Amino acid sequence: MENLKKNIRVLKEMAYLRFNKLTVSRLDFFAPFFIDGSLFLVQILAFKAIYSNTGRIGSWGQGEMVIYIGTFSMLNAINMVIYFFGINEIPQKIRNGELDLYLSKPISPLFRLTFENISPGSLPLVVLSACIILYGINILDIRPGIIQAGVYVFWILVMEVLYYDIAVIVRSVPLYIVSMARMEQIEEAGLDLCMKLPGIALYGIYKVLFYLIMPYGIMATFPVQSIINEMDLWTGIYGVFIVIAFSIITRIIWKLGLRHYNSASS
Amino acid sequence: MHKYWEISKTYMKTQLVYRLDIIFNMLFTVTKILFAYLLWGMVFKNKDMAGMFTFHSMVSYYIISSFLSQLEMSSGISNEIYWRIRNGTFSKYMVIPAGIEKYFLAMEFGVVLFYILFDFIAALIWVFIFQIDFIFTNNLVVIACAVVITLLGLLFMVQLNYLLGIMGLKYQGIQTFLMVKDNLVMLVTGGIVPLALFPDAVVDILSLMPFYYITYLPAMLFTGFCQDEAVSGIFIILCWCIVLQVVINIFWKKNVKNYEGVGI
Repeated sequence: MENLKKNIRVLKEMAYLRFNKLTVSRLDFFAPFFIDGSLFLVQILAFKAIYSNTGRIGSWGQGEMVIYIGTFSMLNAINMVIYFFGINEIPQKIRNGELDLYLSKPISPLFRLTFENISPGSLPLVVLSACIILYGINILDIRPGIIQAGVYVFWILVMEVLYYDIAVIVRSVPLYIVSMARMEQIEEAGLDLCMKLPGIALYGIYKVLFYLIMPYGIMATFPVQSIINEMDLWTGIYGVFIVIAFSIITRIIWKLGLRHYNSASS
Repeated sequence: MHKYWEISKTYMKTQLVYRLDIIFNMLFTVTKILFAYLLWGMVFKNKDMAGMFTFHSMVSYYIISSFLSQLEMSSGISNEIYWRIRNGTFSKYMVIPAGIEKYFLAMEFGVVLFYILFDFIAALIWVFIFQIDFIFTNNLVVIACAVVITLLGLLFMVQLNYLLGIMGLKYQGIQTFLMVKDNLVMLVTGGIVPLALFPDAVVDILSLMPFYYITYLPAMLFTGFCQDEAVSGIFIILCWCIVLQVVINIFWKKNVKNYEGVGI
C-alpha cells in the first residue's frame, strides 16, 4: 500500500513535468493526434472504397470493419497517451548508458520509463477513436447493453496490456544485443499489416504468426468480436491466456536483460 | 553531367555498406502483398469480380504497385534538408560545386538504380510464393508510356520533397505536416487500395492530381488497365513537374536569404 502511494505521487509529478515540457512547443503538442488521426481516417476511406465494391469481407460488413479500425485506433491512442514516448526511448537509453540513472533511483526503472513521457496531446485521438467506434455501431445498428459494453472495455484494457508487453519486449532487445533496428522494423510491419487486416482474414501459418508469435492479429479483433457477439468461450480463454503469457515473458526478458546490462562502458 | 553521375555512383556504392538493409527492404515488400493476398482472397471467395479486377489482376496490381512504391525513396530528402536548415549544416550542400536540387536528384537516381534489381527479384519471388497468375500487359507502347510516367513520377516526388524540405527556410515545425502528408500520399497514390474502387467523381478529381501518376497509373498500365490514359498521363505529370519546378525556383529565391548557416 505504501509502495502504491509512492508510485501515485511519482506519477503525478512526472505528469506535471511532462505537461510543462510539452506546452513549450505547442504545435508538437497535438502532433500525434494529427499524424495518427490522419492514418486511421485514411483507412476508413480505403475500406469504404473496398466495401462499395464488395458486400462483405468474410463475415464482416462495413460496420464491423469501422469498429475494428476504431478499436485499433483506440488501442494506439491509449498507447500514445500513456507509454509510447517513454517506452520508445528505452533502446537509446540502454545504448548511451542513461539507463544507469533509472536504476539508481528508488523506484522501478520500467515504471518510470513507462509513465515519464505521457502525451496529453494524444487525448483527442481517444475521442476520435470513440467517435469511429460509435460510427461503426451506428452502421451496424446495434445497441450494446451495459454488460456487452463492459466486456468490450475489458478486452480493450486487456489488449492494451498485450500491446504494452510486446512494445517492451521489442525494446528490451538492446539489453542483449547491440543492434535492434530490425526488431522495430518487424514490429512496424506487423502493426501496419494487422491494423488494416482483421484477424478473421488470417488462416494457417498467418494465423499462427499473428495470433501466437506476434499476436497483433488478436489485439483489435477480440474486442470487436466481443461486441458483435462473435466471440466464443474458448477464444476468450485463449485471449486472456496469451496476455498472461506475454506479461510473464515480458517480466522475465526485462529482469534478465537488466542483469546483462553493463552500462555504456560495456 | 559527369559530376552528377559521380554523385549517383557514390550513393550506389553507399548502399552496399548496409547489405542487411537490402535484404530487409526486399523482405518487407511482402507486407503490402500479404495484405492484398489475404484481404482480397477473402473477398473473392464469394465473387469473381470487384470493380474491374479479378483476384489475380488485383494481386498483380499490388505486386507492381509495391515494386514501384519501393522505388520511391525520396521522402527522406525533406527531413534531411529541413533538419540541416534548422541546425545550420545545410551549408554542406551550398558549398559543393553542384546544384543542390540536382544533387538530390542524382542521389535519388543512384539509390533507385541500385535497388531496382533487388526490388524486381523480390517481386518475382512473391509471384512465385503466392502462386499468382501474374497479369502484365504485352502492349509495348503502353509499357513505354508507363515507364516514362514512372520516371516523371519519381522526379515529381523528389521535387515535392525538396520543396517541403526547403520550406524550413521559412516555416518552423513542418515535421508533423510531413508525416500527415505521408499518410495521405499512401491513399491517393493507390497504395492501400486501387483508386479505381473509389466513386468515379473522386477518380476524376484525383486524375488531375500528380499523385495519381506516381504509382497508381503506372501499376494499372502494367496490369493492362486504363490504357487510354497512357499518353495523357505523360502530359499531365510533365505539367505538374514543370509547375512544381517554377514554385521551387520562386520559393528558393525569396527565402534563401533567411538561411544564416548557424541554425534558425
